[in-house]
Amino acid sequence: MEHEEYTLMMMDALDGELAAEQRQLLESHLRACPPCEREWQALTAIDALFRQTPMLAPAADFAQRTLARLPNRRYRAWLIGAIYAVLLFSGVLPLLFGTWAVRRYGAVINEPGVLRSLLQSLAHTLEVIGTVVSALFGAMGQFISENPIIFGWLFVMVGFVVVWSGVYRQLLGIPNLSPARSVSR
Amino acid sequence: MNEEQVWLEQARKGDKAAFGQLIEAYQGPVFNLAYRMLNNAGEAEEAAQEAFIRAYTRLETYNPAHKFSTWMLSITSNYCIDLIRKRRALLLSIDEPLPPHPALHSDNAKGPEAQLMLSEQQETVQALLQELPEDYRQAVVLRYWYDLSYDEIADVMDTSVSAIKSRLFRARRQLADVSAGFGLNAQPETVSVAA
Repeated sequence: MEHEEYTLMMMDALDGELAAEQRQLLESHLRACPPCEREWQALTAIDALFRQTPMLAPAADFAQRTLARLPNRRYRAWLIGAIYAVLLFSGVLPLLFGTWAVRRYGAVINEPGVLRSLLQSLAHTLEVIGTVVSALFGAMGQFISENPIIFGWLFVMVGFVVVWSGVYRQLLGIPNLSPARSVSR
Repeated sequence: MNEEQVWLEQARKGDKAAFGQLIEAYQGPVFNLAYRMLNNAGEAEEAAQEAFIRAYTRLETYNPAHKFSTWMLSITSNYCIDLIRKRRALLLSIDEPLPPHPALHSDNAKGPEAQLMLSEQQETVQALLQELPEDYRQAVVLRYWYDLSYDEIADVMDTSVSAIKSRLFRARRQLADVSAGFGLNAQPETVSVAA
């Protein structure tokens, strides 16, 4: 049997979960193997120290000071209710206004002349946006074709972002940082 | 309905005094956990208070199927771990060399009022705990001071039982490796594995 397996048995022994038969096996190994015996002594010394060390208590007025810092739950509930009401009205009010506007101005909008000019004005606006966007992309394309080295820079920048985001994720332990985790059980 | 459930019910309705009873009941375990994790009395008190405030504002998310103590310990230990990681990220981001572990949590950083008079035994225990990475330390503290089973520790730390076993295994070996430096190399004459 490997030393590692005896170490596993030591852990079970510390947790009081080692069967009598295995306990004898471990004891006879410890008598024959000084390194394992030293490890066992160190493990039991730590175990005994931790088990004998009492809990630490906070200052005498800790509870009063914590109580004084508690927010008002009733106020908080009221605030959350108010936010929900605002959100609800932000959806309902435009609906009501829309219905009123259609009822009030529906007849005017339905005139063929008005509708046509509205659509024409919309089409003109889209045309202007299209011209601006195509000019921008055209200029960008021309710039890239004249300066192909820009692609190299682009790759360098992307590499930089990927490497540093990896470093920061490691540092901040991002997969474990979700605040909801602590209270979601 | 026991006393604790009555306090919880009243606290949910906004009764601060009822939650005060829960603070009285759990302040010891919550503060002890924060201190073992952070190794600084001032920060530990701040973290313990923050844990109670979080619990109070999120009482509606507490599932009564779990023990309230487990829920409180979970909030406290996760808050402490986040604090340690943020503190480390901050230290690295300001481009300073990383100080050794004990200096990271030194009591000297706070005023004398933040210090806690510790016995030699408590000092040794704290120094040993600071040798461990925070997630190993968390598992060790929950195992030894709260007598939680592997299942319960996994529940508090939101991970699997096998992950907890592996962390405790490595933590104990790591502690055994450094124990000689703390004068803990006791050498009894007989070898006994009696539980």
